[in-house]
Amino acid sequence: MKILIVDDSSTMRRIIINTLSRIGYTDVVEGENGKSGLEKLGQGGVEMIITDWNMPEMDGLEFVKTVRVQNPAIPILMVTTNAAKEDIVEALQAGVNNYVVKPFTPDTLKEKIESLLG
Amino acid sequence: MDQSEIDALLTGGGKSPKKAKPAAKAPAPEAVSAPPSPPVPVAQAEPHQDGSGHVISELDTVTSVTERESNKVMDQLDQISRLVSRQQQLITEIMSHEGAQAPGVQKAIHEVMSASKEIQDNVFEAMDLMQFQDITRQKLERIVHHLRQIHDYIVDLLGTGLKSDTERPSISHTIAQTGTTPDENKAHADAVIEAFKTQKKG
Repeated sequence: MKILIVDDSSTMRRIIINTLSRIGYTDVVEGENGKSGLEKLGQGGVEMIITDWNMPEMDGLEFVKTVRVQNPAIPILMVTTNAAKEDIVEALQAGVNNYVVKPFTPDTLKEKIESLLG
Repeated sequence: MDQSEIDALLTGGGKSPKKAKPAAKAPAPEAVSAPPSPPVPVAQAEPHQDGSGHVISELDTVTSVTERESNKVMDQLDQISRLVSRQQQLITEIMSHEGAQAPGVQKAIHEVMSASKEIQDNVFEAMDLMQFQDITRQKLERIVHHLRQIHDYIVDLLGTGLKSDTERPSISHTIAQTGTTPDENKAHADAVIEAFKTQKKG
């Protein structure tokens, strides 16, 4: 399964990639903001998206809304520091399937990914 | 900022930095040697026409330096992880040797394996804790956001100067309260998700 990780922090992308590889997901593509995320998504093969919210150029919320216009079914997990109730609701309304607040444990990421993949 | 710069600051900035003390111990020959760190870029020390611009540029430098250095720590942790995996592989090979079947040897091998697993777990935990870098970066971004607001307010007030126009990442409004404890907001987020789903179904 190919997973797209969109985060402007290279350290955070490495942490997520590392966690994914420990739970068996090694096919990963990376984007550093919503705009590059859309480019990677356009290249095809992506079956799941993990995205940050606060990024330059195109933030995660705008990215999710754009993806949902083109692809209503792809599972999207938002991993962000935004912890306010209204933020979580806004992300869910935009089309995010699940939500993780940073900092997180690998177990949480695993639990959320598994719940998205059914 | 390296140790000599810190020493110079502590001694008032005017004195020559102290010479670094020689390392107490030479690294073991088999130890993983880190590549030499490239010089840390220091923010422009020249006076800036726009004071907030100078501070923002210094904060951006702090962010990029900490991100680069965090990645170096991650490189080292990756390297340790690879070495531990290799060690485990070699121990597994040793276990199948005829000479390793003695109960005392088997016990020792199992202890080494157990210690090796513990090292691997600690390495993974250290990697996960590196999330602090992203959280710190976002806290700095929030400070930048406030500085720009103050700058633009002053520009409005004086009726002169240029407003901030460089695009920055959006900011988290809750980052000021974000700590470094993993999953501290999990229960709260899960409750909001659950309530949203229930409301949507109803």
